[in-house]
Amino acid sequence: MQVKIDTRPLPIVILARWWRFPVFALVNFALYYFYHQPPPEGLSVAGFRALTVFLACVFLWMTQLLPLPVTGLFALIAPSLLGVIPLKEAFSFFGADAVFFILGVFILAAALYKSGLSTRMALHLLKRGSKSPRRLVFQVMLTAALLSFIMSEHAVAAMMFPLVVIISKRLSGTPEGAGYSRVLFLAMAWGCVIGGIATMLGGARVPLAVNFLQDMAGQTITFTQWSMGMFPIVITLFSFCYLLLTRYYPIRILTVMEADTVLDQQLRDCGRPLLEERFLALLLACTILGWIFWGGTTAIMAAISILSVILLFMFRVVKWRQIQENVEWGVILMYGGAIALSQILTSTQAGNWFAETHIVPYLSSPWALVIILSLMTMALTEALSNAAVVAIVVPIGLSIANTVGLDPKVVVYAVASASSMNYVLPMSTPAVAIAYSSGYLKIREVIVPASIMWVVSWGTLMLTAKFWWPVLGVKIGP
Amino acid sequence: MAADPNLALLKLQLLFHGIRAGNDLPSPLTNPFGLIHLALPEKVFVSVHLNTNGTESPFMLRKEGDRFLLDIEGKQSVSVGWTPPLKSYQKRTSSGLLVSDILTVHGDFIAVHPSHQCRFGRSGLSCRYCGSSKELSDHPPFTPRDLVEAIHLVMEEKRCDVVSLSSGHVDTPDGGVERLEKWVTEIRKHNNVLISLDLVPPETNDWIDKTYAMGVDALYYDSDFFNPNDESPREFQKHKARQLEALAYAAKIFPTGAVLSHLVVGLESLKDTFESVDLLIDRGVVPVLAYFPPYGGSALRMRWTATPEQVTPIYAHLYERLVRTRINPHWVQQYDVVLTSLEGRFLSPESPRYHLRLKNFYETRTGRAVRFGLASLRRHLRVREVPA
Repeated sequence: MQVKIDTRPLPIVILARWWRFPVFALVNFALYYFYHQPPPEGLSVAGFRALTVFLACVFLWMTQLLPLPVTGLFALIAPSLLGVIPLKEAFSFFGADAVFFILGVFILAAALYKSGLSTRMALHLLKRGSKSPRRLVFQVMLTAALLSFIMSEHAVAAMMFPLVVIISKRLSGTPEGAGYSRVLFLAMAWGCVIGGIATMLGGARVPLAVNFLQDMAGQTITFTQWSMGMFPIVITLFSFCYLLLTRYYPIRILTVMEADTVLDQQLRDCGRPLLEERFLALLLACTILGWIFWGGTTAIMAAISILSVILLFMFRVVKWRQIQENVEWGVILMYGGAIALSQILTSTQAGNWFAETHIVPYLSSPWALVIILSLMTMALTEALSNAAVVAIVVPIGLSIANTVGLDPKVVVYAVASASSMNYVLPMSTPAVAIAYSSGYLKIREVIVPASIMWVVSWGTLMLTAKFWWPVLGVKIGP
Repeated sequence: MAADPNLALLKLQLLFHGIRAGNDLPSPLTNPFGLIHLALPEKVFVSVHLNTNGTESPFMLRKEGDRFLLDIEGKQSVSVGWTPPLKSYQKRTSSGLLVSDILTVHGDFIAVHPSHQCRFGRSGLSCRYCGSSKELSDHPPFTPRDLVEAIHLVMEEKRCDVVSLSSGHVDTPDGGVERLEKWVTEIRKHNNVLISLDLVPPETNDWIDKTYAMGVDALYYDSDFFNPNDESPREFQKHKARQLEALAYAAKIFPTGAVLSHLVVGLESLKDTFESVDLLIDRGVVPVLAYFPPYGGSALRMRWTATPEQVTPIYAHLYERLVRTRINPHWVQQYDVVLTSLEGRFLSPESPRYHLRLKNFYETRTGRAVRFGLASLRRHLRVREVPA
């Protein structure tokens, strides 16, 4: 970092630096104002106040005036401060199944990263593609996608980034090589994005959405059901993405032998797999099988992941300090707050009231709801954290679903998958931001293929909802 | 009955002639550097050299009852205040260093040379900031921690608003910024004072940004003289051009009036000094006109030509130009070894009412807190960290 002195006139500097304070004051004033207002017809006082807090949180998540986890904490205590529920009850919502499931998944992913197992897996997968330029693009995408099945996509991107940088540096001696490097970074980022849709582990947003489903509709989606539901989307998008990258950006280099040499060197540096790595691989396989065969609810899935974490430390595979440095603790705080807020909205009937009075009258069919929710999610997620988008959109969608005759599971499938489909802007997802940080990508060069991916992703989602989800017993409409 | 003396002229004359000591004066009369601290009427502070080598001076300090009087040859005596030498000079820090070996107090500011390299000292001239150059070079080395303690000891006895650190002569691209950073950090951490640095202009402007960001409130790039019409070697011209460029850039970064440059009156022709003053003010820089005639009796004194009466128009011009350009002259409030730009008001017909009010306010406890708070707030607002 370096210092820069803002030499603009002081009033402008003050406005630029302190605009947050008047906005915070306005939020507080709005909360105070609505606290003293009578509720609209059909809504209880508690429901009205819960809705006020929800709208304040939506505003804070969208503007990111506060860090996302801090808004999560605000969501946890604000309803109690406004007298909606007792504080003790609000804090108890933090102990939701999804929070512990996510905690376990994050710790396992951190162990995978710190042990070097994920890097070894990536190197082996990449090595298979180091024979031709197109094959290497495919293999980078496949490696990113496959690893995103079992780790959060941003962890995969962070882990693969140095490998792709080393390969790119070797190949970037010519303009053709530099152009090819750009394709490799996009393959890495979009591979992560697409792979992250496939399972509940790619991004913690799916467990969050499933938790909302359990709390608000009393239903659940298992690990296997989710992956089955997403299977056609992942296959289609992966294939299309590979074709798009290799056709849109002309690949003019003839050989990637240099990359092969680099990968050989990296693999040699890794040495033989340690006992800890082998144990971790076995543990991970058992955990995934546990989720597939016994993961009927998020509570059981959470128990399985926590059990795996305990075994991880019993056998001293990693040290706690290593985990501490590599877990996104903030996401857990944010989820705790979001889950608490959704439960309060449900228990006070505020969500239902809002949906029935402000949204349902304008919807003509269940399909209209699916289209609106998916488009809204995909648009928001380009600018907002996808977890924040899920926290905002899923409770609204679930509140409306029953009224318009839509299976609530469709809301979770549609919103949670759409929230992963972000390809354009660096702030959309860490995987894309990491790819931009390479310096090889410029938004103007990415915008066209990314927009094509965006449209195709939405189309694929709609076709899957129309033809595949009914096969799994999830129908849109009667 | 003779008219009251002009206080600005009187201060310059005292700096020029020194002073003789009458009878019944307290002991010790001078500070460790041989200077007597006097307060002339209207809070005009001056540190005068005590002539002990038989050199004549038209001024004599004497005591009459509880009062101190300044006798002026052929004129009416002036009642003055005498400030005893700081007792804290004789105190020691926890590491055993004498405070007077670490710093020198001038009016409301504390001068420190952490590197023991005073430019005047190196030139062989005796330095009125830090006392004799020989003594300064003999001072034991001290650490930022010692300095912080010394500042505490001084401030227990006397209110000081500014600590001025000098980098001494440096030949590095940063102009001495990095060398002083740890000192600034330590003072910021422990002392509630404004900090000014006396540096060499750096090679690039990003060092000026860094200087402000690290907690420096005012900045000196000393010119000493510009001699604008001089046709010196190209290298020197290049150096002067960079100096002016750095000063102009710093004036955009620091608060108004907080970028200063010493001009030594008497080293070049008075016409050139006038031009130099304009050159600096046009760039938003406040010239601090140092009038340092060599002490009477020295060989250099024989060659000194600029008398106090001759140089007063420059001070008047400086004050008037600052008022007209609305550059804040308050960064140098009480400077007892030079006639400050604000004290130039005694030589000018321009009304000093606004600046006097502000000066008086800044000398109150509240004013001091406001001044310090505004400086910190400005830095908080203007400094940003951006990716390299």
